[in-house]
Amino acid sequence: MTIRTVRPDRVQHIRCQMHCLKKLDVMVVEMQDPKSGVRGSEQKLNVTSIPHVITGHDVIAWISTKMKTTTEEAQAFGTMLVAYGYIYPLLNHKKLVMCNDTSLYRFQTPYFWPTHQWVAEDSDYAIYLAKKNIRKKGVLEPFEQAHYNHLHDWLNHKWDFVVMQATEQHKAGKERKKPDRVVFDCQERAYWVVNRPSRHTHSAMDCGPDRLIDPDAQNLSFDHYRRLNMFYQQAIMRSKVKSSVSLGALVKYVTTYKNHDPFLAPCLPSNPWQTDNDTYWTLNMRRVDVPTKMRVERWSFSLFELLTDLRGRDDFKVFLKKEFSGENLAFWEAAEELKWGTASSMLTKAETIFKTFLAPGAPRWINIDGRTMGLTVKGLEHPHRYVLEAAQTHVFLLMKKDTFFRYLKSPVYKDMQKKALSPEAHSFSPAQLEQNAQRRNPGIHPIILWQQEEAEKAKAAAASAPVDVKAVMSKIDRKK
Amino acid sequence: MEADSQQRECRTLLPHSDSTPPSPHAFDHIMSRWRRSVDGLTALRRNQWDCERAQEALSHVMSCFHQLAALLGSSADGAFLRNELEGIRALAYRICSGLSCRLLCLLSDSEPPTTGADDQQLSERLWVLFLSAAENLLSDLWKASDLIGRFPLTQPKDRHALVSTGCIDGPVGMAARVVLVQVPWVTLEEAPSPDLTSHITDLQTMLNEMQLKVPVAFWSVEATQPAWAEAHEDLDQPEESLEELMEVEVVSENKTMSACCRLHCVRSGIKEGPRKIQKALRRNI
Repeated sequence: MTIRTVRPDRVQHIRCQMHCLKKLDVMVVEMQDPKSGVRGSEQKLNVTSIPHVITGHDVIAWISTKMKTTTEEAQAFGTMLVAYGYIYPLLNHKKLVMCNDTSLYRFQTPYFWPTHQWVAEDSDYAIYLAKKNIRKKGVLEPFEQAHYNHLHDWLNHKWDFVVMQATEQHKAGKERKKPDRVVFDCQERAYWVVNRPSRHTHSAMDCGPDRLIDPDAQNLSFDHYRRLNMFYQQAIMRSKVKSSVSLGALVKYVTTYKNHDPFLAPCLPSNPWQTDNDTYWTLNMRRVDVPTKMRVERWSFSLFELLTDLRGRDDFKVFLKKEFSGENLAFWEAAEELKWGTASSMLTKAETIFKTFLAPGAPRWINIDGRTMGLTVKGLEHPHRYVLEAAQTHVFLLMKKDTFFRYLKSPVYKDMQKKALSPEAHSFSPAQLEQNAQRRNPGIHPIILWQQEEAEKAKAAAASAPVDVKAVMSKIDRKK
Repeated sequence: MEADSQQRECRTLLPHSDSTPPSPHAFDHIMSRWRRSVDGLTALRRNQWDCERAQEALSHVMSCFHQLAALLGSSADGAFLRNELEGIRALAYRICSGLSCRLLCLLSDSEPPTTGADDQQLSERLWVLFLSAAENLLSDLWKASDLIGRFPLTQPKDRHALVSTGCIDGPVGMAARVVLVQVPWVTLEEAPSPDLTSHITDLQTMLNEMQLKVPVAFWSVEATQPAWAEAHEDLDQPEESLEELMEVEVVSENKTMSACCRLHCVRSGIKEGPRKIQKALRRNI
């Protein structure tokens, strides 16, 4: 954007996840060996013929012999080489995969290899687009047109230079011999397909944020190694769990959650990050009347899931109201509020909690064992954020072992399961995806959401005044 | 006629135009100032014209350098290519140093009456264009030096490491182009050009100094042509697009296909083949 004051190569572009590039350089150079490298042949075009073309089959065979792996792995490796831009396909230049057949590829010139030292500059891309514009008389792809307009705005101060350089490069290209010209144009096109991919394509260059310090080039001191030693000694001394046990837990987790993972199973109706359609988020909002089937299924996994999803907590509250055992959940919520609340409100909160839940004869007295009760009451003399931790855990376990299973078998939950929505999957064509991307709505304003929350909280506070056992009892007595 | 108008102009410049007639000494002084300003203006315009030509020449040289640097490390690499590259780099160095001196003179010239707003804008535009070109050249030089370091051709067996990219004899056309560059001071000043690493450091320091010495607001420079203007310029000959150049012959006598695109239309006869491939290619791309 600005004329960059020329910085020495001081590691502003260390892209740590691309450290494999150095090894790939070596491997690609090994592929060039005339005796033991990949066999090349000639590509015959209508107008000329160009040497040094390789087939996907040969490359994959070479990789599998060199690295001693299976063909599938070699094919994946070959695809990575194409995705990074070391090899480019000749016929379908936008699809960066390596196919295990006679499809043709060519090596990219080292000038256009990916390095983690330089990023592909915007001004170079502007020159390329202007050159393509001249050559094709304005017929660029839609995403290229969008880039062009954007760069014309941002690089307006050097636009004259961009156009001048593009015309010069265009003229220089025309002077070369035809086969070389074709090769150079292919190389440049392949470079920009890798470095400025079109929308909705997965790019191998997505490597996360740049680092300021090169972790390979650090000088590690004696102190650093001393700390490392201490850390590892402490790690050895910790108590260990058998891997069969921990792996069993992991397997159980994966089997339970695998249909709910947006990477492993398709998100219904569609993943908003991929299709720019936010139906999924609107269907799963905090105060929706009818939740989705996946959400309701998730509540049955554990009490923790039920309570962390606030919509699930509402449902659980409805159930507990019917059973007249809402004090456990109320105490749990109050303890959460204490934990996460402001420091100034802690004293008042602690007092109210004591009066409501813990004092003997309190209106919503919870039934915890004597030892915990004693500890908690003693701690409440000097309350801090975690005084209620033990009591809260006890209450949580009570709910988990008893109330939760009753809830899962209750008509409340079963009704909810029946009512739950199961939206159909969207299927958008590429044109519709473009439209979606351009028509993204900003969603509900957070202030409106906050106001709604406040209104709901006020309603809830008014409606659920603590059930005063004494009052109810006295009413019943009076009736009698 | 001219003298009269000049005299009238001088009279209006005088503080006491009505009362006393101007003394000959003051008149000469005013005339010489006026003449100096006109001379200054012509010199300024000539300088700007020189700088514009030099900028074009620099673009030309940079495009040649770019084409040649793209061949480094490939099968077309060799001593010939590297010598060509050195020559072009030396030329670029001379143009850059001359241009930077002249631009510094142009913009640190501190006589506001001589430079109008338009001239100042033009000078600033030239300044910004030169800085952009120098940055671009610097990044090309970095890449070239890195590639030369990675692929040293000191021994014959180093040639095995060169990547076979399909380019065979790249640099032949470039030499002819570069000869066409005509910049006034390049032929006159025969200063020795430095080697690659010192060229890079020199260019860096030059950029830093230039940005420190003259405060030019580069965001105030605007492009002279609108977007997409270059697409509508008439070219000399109609061009073959890359897709047409990449067409492959179809052999369909024995129902055999060469290793061609995965198109379904190819089974037809030879006459229809290329046109169908063209259409299909256009649909693909």
